Amino acid sequence: MMWRFDFWWLPRALILGLLAFIIFGPLTNLLLWTVAEKWYFPHMLPLEYGFSFWERVFSPRGNAMGSLATSILVASLTVVVSLALAVPAGYALSRLKLPFRGLILLAFLIPQAFPNLPVYVNIARFFYQIGLNGTVAGVVMVHVTHGLVYAVWIATAAFSAVQIDLEEAARSIGAGPLRAFRDITLPLAAPGLLASAIFVFLESLDEFTGSYFVGAPDVNTLPLLLYTASSGGNYQIASITALLLLIPSIGFMLVVERFLRADVLSKVGH
Amino acid sequence: MKTLLQASLILGLAASPAAAADLTVLTAGDQNMVDYINDYLGPLFEKENPGTTVRVVGTGPGDAGSQKIVERFDAQSKANVEKWDADVAVVHEKFAGPMVKDGYLESYRSKIASGEMVTSEKAKMALGSNVDGYVMPMFSSQTAIAYNPALIPTPPKSYEELVTWAKENPKQFGYNGIKGGASGVSFVMGWIYAFGDGDAKKLMNGPFEEAETKKWDKAFASLKDFTTNATLTPGNAGTLDMLSRGEIAMGPVWVDMFYSWQADGKLPPEMKLFLPAPGMPGQPMHYVIPAKSPNTELAEKFVALATSPKVQAEGIVKRFNWYPGIDAKFVQPELDKASWDKLFVDISPDDLSTKAKPFPIAPYNSAILEAYEKNVAN
Amino acid sequence: MRNKLLAILLVLPALVMIVLFFIVPLIASILGAFEVGDAWGLGNFRKSFELYSSDMIFTVVIVTVSTALIGLFSVAIGGYLTLGENPRAVAILRWLYRWPMFIPFIVVGQILRTFLAKNGLMNNILVSLGLLTPLQTVGFLDWRGIVIAFVWKQTPFVTLLVAGAMASLDRSTIEAARNLGASRLRILIEIVVPQIAGTLLVGLILSFVTMMSVLSVPLMINAQSPTMLTADIAFRINAHGDYGVANALGMISLILTTGVALIYLRQTMKERS
Repeated sequence: MMWRFDFWWLPRALILGLLAFIIFGPLTNLLLWTVAEKWYFPHMLPLEYGFSFWERVFSPRGNAMGSLATSILVASLTVVVSLALAVPAGYALSRLKLPFRGLILLAFLIPQAFPNLPVYVNIARFFYQIGLNGTVAGVVMVHVTHGLVYAVWIATAAFSAVQIDLEEAARSIGAGPLRAFRDITLPLAAPGLLASAIFVFLESLDEFTGSYFVGAPDVNTLPLLLYTASSGGNYQIASITALLLLIPSIGFMLVVERFLRADVLSKVGH
Repeated sequence: MKTLLQASLILGLAASPAAAADLTVLTAGDQNMVDYINDYLGPLFEKENPGTTVRVVGTGPGDAGSQKIVERFDAQSKANVEKWDADVAVVHEKFAGPMVKDGYLESYRSKIASGEMVTSEKAKMALGSNVDGYVMPMFSSQTAIAYNPALIPTPPKSYEELVTWAKENPKQFGYNGIKGGASGVSFVMGWIYAFGDGDAKKLMNGPFEEAETKKWDKAFASLKDFTTNATLTPGNAGTLDMLSRGEIAMGPVWVDMFYSWQADGKLPPEMKLFLPAPGMPGQPMHYVIPAKSPNTELAEKFVALATSPKVQAEGIVKRFNWYPGIDAKFVQPELDKASWDKLFVDISPDDLSTKAKPFPIAPYNSAILEAYEKNVAN
Repeated sequence: MRNKLLAILLVLPALVMIVLFFIVPLIASILGAFEVGDAWGLGNFRKSFELYSSDMIFTVVIVTVSTALIGLFSVAIGGYLTLGENPRAVAILRWLYRWPMFIPFIVVGQILRTFLAKNGLMNNILVSLGLLTPLQTVGFLDWRGIVIAFVWKQTPFVTLLVAGAMASLDRSTIEAARNLGASRLRILIEIVVPQIAGTLLVGLILSFVTMMSVLSVPLMINAQSPTMLTADIAFRINAHGDYGVANALGMISLILTTGVALIYLRQTMKERS
């Protein structure tokens, strides 16, 4: 067989190349800063490379690994709680008759819509009163209130997108409502739900203000380290910390994708 | 995955209750403040007090960092918490006054040995409010103008000369307005000291008079003019950032940040600082102890150590090139001449004594910021 | 009736969570917005409009422009992932587009600041490739930088949702249209997008809301006035300890986002009836 050149690769390569530059340009910047010992104008690339800032991040007192573990724990719990609350809520909001449906959907949006800074003092005060301050549970609660909007809204959209006749068909051949939900509706809505899980996970992993007010100094998450470093312009330390945060994010997505692909694939051809 | 989760679950839950001898330090300011306690002060204190652990939490640079500490205290005070979750806090000068006024702090200076080694006015009055006894200065920070001597061999010496220079070199001077951190604020305050029609001394020492706030119109008009010719940078770090990339040739910075950027290899080593006449403000960072700290005695010991001449010399001056918090005459004997002189490479002690000013007292401070928003930013 | 009760029971746990842990604390803030000294009044709102009305417009314009661009790019990427016929190109694109999603906003601010600046890495690369001369370089650290940062970070988020919805579409209509000779662009616009419009709208509104409340990006990228409302709120609190105006600005921001959310709610209401 003769090898033929596909001319479509010209525009494709151009566009993909441009996209790669847009996406990896800034990321390269991040990577370079993690190993830059000296970098200033007019030098395009760092003058000296080294790992001295890694030593600072991983110094025993820096507690980077402990914070990372806490971050992962908090984010995982946040996902579990958010989805446990959002799946029934999303189903009701999309399928069932509900009074004040619009208002309810709006309520979930509020934690994202009101800039948080002024509210956290009140939340912290409330949490101090009920003894939730400085506990993992308290931090998870705060993250859940922020993650729920993604979980609930996306779950609602995902359930709405599932054709209702499929469910009705299952019911008509004798499946109970729970079974129809578990076997038909849930798998079909799964891609959306799992996507929302990723967002909730990322949201929790990046959250700083709430973690500080409710968690610190007993529960230290990685963004607490990141925030001080990044806003003070400590590019090296911030970049290394951000790189550390990439590990759970990407790991979580890969795990989710495995489930996601299996589920979607099992539906193909049915 | 599952075992990892379980492991971290146990880890996370077991780690949460604090042990009795944990000393918790909240610190506003840059990463280097956190590092200072983690790398130097903490281990030193633990060695002297076996069995204790120092935990430090950074709350972020600038006023925002100190504000987060105030809010934390606010929340605990309003929730009537018996024992608060912080033993020592490091805050900007501006926030010491309100904390004292709200009764959050313990008066401890007379109880520690180094208390007598502080005679500076700034340890008694913080922007017009009486904080005598409640604070110990950790170090004094100063703003100055950073420049690249390769581009500017003879820097301007005063605000007037700076204005002329900026006119001749459009967009080469950069500052961060007033919303991105205090180095820009400090530049603006210096501007009012230099060009305001009122009495700069009154702004620094009070008393507050409404009439005084009407005397800045001309100064703000010229500042607006000046700003159109300047570059606005994003934040304290943003000014340093643009200096490091050669996008601006000059800009106001915090002296301590400037040195740590140089040490981290983010600024060319040949960059220098100068203080323009009549001067720019600086402020100390203060150690404070919450009245409801669970380990008051330990906290006092900690601050006593942190403000002892030895630590001020070794930690503050030698390691970081910061100006000491306690009086210099107690610190200087602890150091060799070379380390001491390094403090004054760019800015001479004479310059410091004549051109390092305090910030205006709180009500003037707010009035100037608001006037800036109305007159310059719009 | 039983149905309605069940629906309420299903929503209740999530709702209680939000109300107890956010809306109740929020009420104190909202009340604070109307507190002027010791009395009630609209002084904080008057001051907000007096000082920050240009920032309000700026915020809405920036976020709207970003949302529009995000919508455009996410449909384009999602569309190619669904309709693209070269498996290798699709695979590359799928691998490529998601990365920015994993970078926290504060780091996005930091890396784009050092990337997009006049003498930043981007211009340095372009100059050394000979595509630009040093005199032609422009910095993007103004409103454009904010838009770029938002689009960079949020496009993968919406794309992930949109591509997921597109993947679970019934392929038979698409195949049929393809067999009838319809171009892929036409299929995308006329068949695919209408079917995933709901998901797209949800994604865009969530992005809109997220962008409205991001503080680090405007703080780190754009220094000029006007700036975004979140920066003003932080400034009122940190420089003045002024929660009144901060809360008033928060209320205004909330009202702006609610307006956008209502568009979506009306849309879904129409679909349901």
